[in-house]
Amino acid sequence: MVELNLEHIYKKYDNADDYSVTDFNLDIKDQEFIVFVGPSGCGKSTTLRMIAGLEDITKGDLKIDGNVVNDEAPKDRDIAMVFQTYALYPHMTVFDNMAFGLKLRKYSKDEIDKRVHHAADILGLEEYLERKPAALSGGQRQRVALGRAIVRDAPIFLMDEPLSNLDAKLRVAMRAQIAKLHQDLKTTTIYVTHDQTEAMTMADRIVVMKDGKVQQIGTPQEVYDQPTNVFVGGFIGAPAMNFFNVTLDQGYIYDEGKNFNLKVPEGCLKILESKGYEQKKLVFGIRPEDMHTEQAFIETFPDSIVSATVSVSELLGAESQLYSKVGETEFVCKVDARDFVQPGTKVTMGVDLNKAHFFDPETENSVY
Amino acid sequence: MAEKIHTKGKSSIKRSRFIKYFLTYLFMLLLSLVIIYPLLITVMTAFKNSDVVAFTLSFQGPWTLKNFQDLFMTTLYGKWYWNTLVISVATMVIQVAVVTLAGYTYSRYSFAGKKWSLTFFLVVQMVPTMAALTAFYVLGMLLNGLDHYWFLTLIYIGGGIPMNTWLMKGYFDTVPYDFDESAKLDGAGNFTIFWKIVMPLVKPMIAVQALWAFMGPFGDFMTARYLLREESNLTVAVGLQQFISDPKDQQVALFAAGAILIALPICALFFYLQKYFVTGLTAGGAKG
Ligand SMILES: Nc1ncnc2c1ncn2[C@@H]1O[C@H](COP(=O)(O)OP(=O)(O)OP(=O)(O)O)[C@@H](O)[C@H]1O
Ligand SMILES: [Mg+2]
Repeated sequence: MVELNLEHIYKKYDNADDYSVTDFNLDIKDQEFIVFVGPSGCGKSTTLRMIAGLEDITKGDLKIDGNVVNDEAPKDRDIAMVFQTYALYPHMTVFDNMAFGLKLRKYSKDEIDKRVHHAADILGLEEYLERKPAALSGGQRQRVALGRAIVRDAPIFLMDEPLSNLDAKLRVAMRAQIAKLHQDLKTTTIYVTHDQTEAMTMADRIVVMKDGKVQQIGTPQEVYDQPTNVFVGGFIGAPAMNFFNVTLDQGYIYDEGKNFNLKVPEGCLKILESKGYEQKKLVFGIRPEDMHTEQAFIETFPDSIVSATVSVSELLGAESQLYSKVGETEFVCKVDARDFVQPGTKVTMGVDLNKAHFFDPETENSVY
Repeated sequence: MAEKIHTKGKSSIKRSRFIKYFLTYLFMLLLSLVIIYPLLITVMTAFKNSDVVAFTLSFQGPWTLKNFQDLFMTTLYGKWYWNTLVISVATMVIQVAVVTLAGYTYSRYSFAGKKWSLTFFLVVQMVPTMAALTAFYVLGMLLNGLDHYWFLTLIYIGGGIPMNTWLMKGYFDTVPYDFDESAKLDGAGNFTIFWKIVMPLVKPMIAVQALWAFMGPFGDFMTARYLLREESNLTVAVGLQQFISDPKDQQVALFAAGAILIALPICALFFYLQKYFVTGLTAGGAKG
């Protein structure tokens, strides 16, 4: 059983003018798989390193099982971490790399042997135990780094972009392996990535960060379906959510050049009106997969139609992506492969407004 | 047509490769001549009768081991040799320890005056030993260290610290900090990180340091000449010089024999340390 609480955590580096992490709040439950995601430089590694004890916490409390551990040395926190660079000790064999932490913690030789072989077995490293890291491939090194964390049987795993040095295929394979590992070991894990696919597929809960601030915390589904602001909407999901600047006018929204006029569904409209957005500007967000080119859809919802010119179209096997332009706004539409069209074609698209998101143009926060 | 160009390209690559190797070997050959020629003279002279009067290369006998016998029987050479060994080993052990610890500290920790003192090291290094000799002498008088090994050893160590601390720091810097942090999480304290993780990765540099520090006292003439007085206290370099210092009676053969023996401990240490002179120890620890 382990619980982790981050309470109003701030971090300012000595040589920096600004806070790198601002008011970070998060309660992590036992066995949870948390993913920190966000663009480069948003403070993911900094937060992780504060949890590990590698960086001082400027302000706020970090609690493990209710005890404030701000001032505890890393070795006393009993946390295992996988580094982005793996940081395998080059002069030690794979076996010794995994055994090092156990030896320092004074485990018996038999116990060390047992644990290392168990971990090597899980990770398929048995035949490499006597090799030095230099004689391993990138994927094997990555697994040794994981193994080093596993043997410790630590209650908390931290991983800082552990897959970013691997090629695409290996990354998918290792992603599955880490997910499976978590299912088996159930160790509370915090995983840092800037890859939203990794975040969506692995996380119990995602923490989306930007400029040192938490933007949203929620399950992958929540973060995907109910983004709290424009940034989260645009960051999670691939291809990214499309945004249009629109004005709400008597149940309809139109863009600046009045290139389209879309009917807002009843329930949504009520909320927008009650929040005082009638005749006001809004940011209208719609995901590429919620735009359709099927004839049936267009005929059923004649009030939800946008006419656009396709500028680039990509055929991705089962589906195709149409990069299009309406007025001055560019957007992407993800459609069935059958509906692939050549660039330059004018296409009529149906917009599923039941899946629409609305944001305030000033605050960029979600209003519906 | 295409084939023609192809073969032409091939032969010109071959030729330029040939020229490259030719020049490389020529250069190495010249260099080895420059090194081997005087060495050969010394070796030859050492095994000749004591009536040789000048260093010349000649392969004519008769050959004898008498010079080596004389060195130890009739001169103080044995004593000088011992003096030098003691000073060398002391210098090596202490200097390597100090420089390694200092280099590690400079590389891994931040403290008040770090930048300033590093600059100071560099500046101090620019003062030539010649200019410092008088200061050493005065210092020796004040501390009552003239004609004592410990003072000379101290001077050797002190002289070696600034530059070598720089070098060590630079080498420690090449060991990624991730290793330290990883070890920290594995439960290692400061000493374990130093001893078990970082130190093994800078062995090549430590070996080089040890060799240099050991060689120093064998090769130094000036400082030892200045600070040592008593004939039986001399180091080999100073002692040997006495054999040829009298222009009317230069004991060339004796000098050569003594010079060759100096090479023995240095060679031995070199071959012992050779296994550490491997580069790229940190390879494979990081990145994919
Ligand atoms: N040692 C440091 N000293 C000063 N500023 C730092 C230091 N380390 C990081 N920063 C700053 O803190 C901010 C957050 O950095 P951090 O490494 O946590 O980003 P990140 O989210 O992990 O990014 P990435 O995805 O590129 O790894 C950045 O603006 C960075 O410039
Ligand atoms: Mg990072």
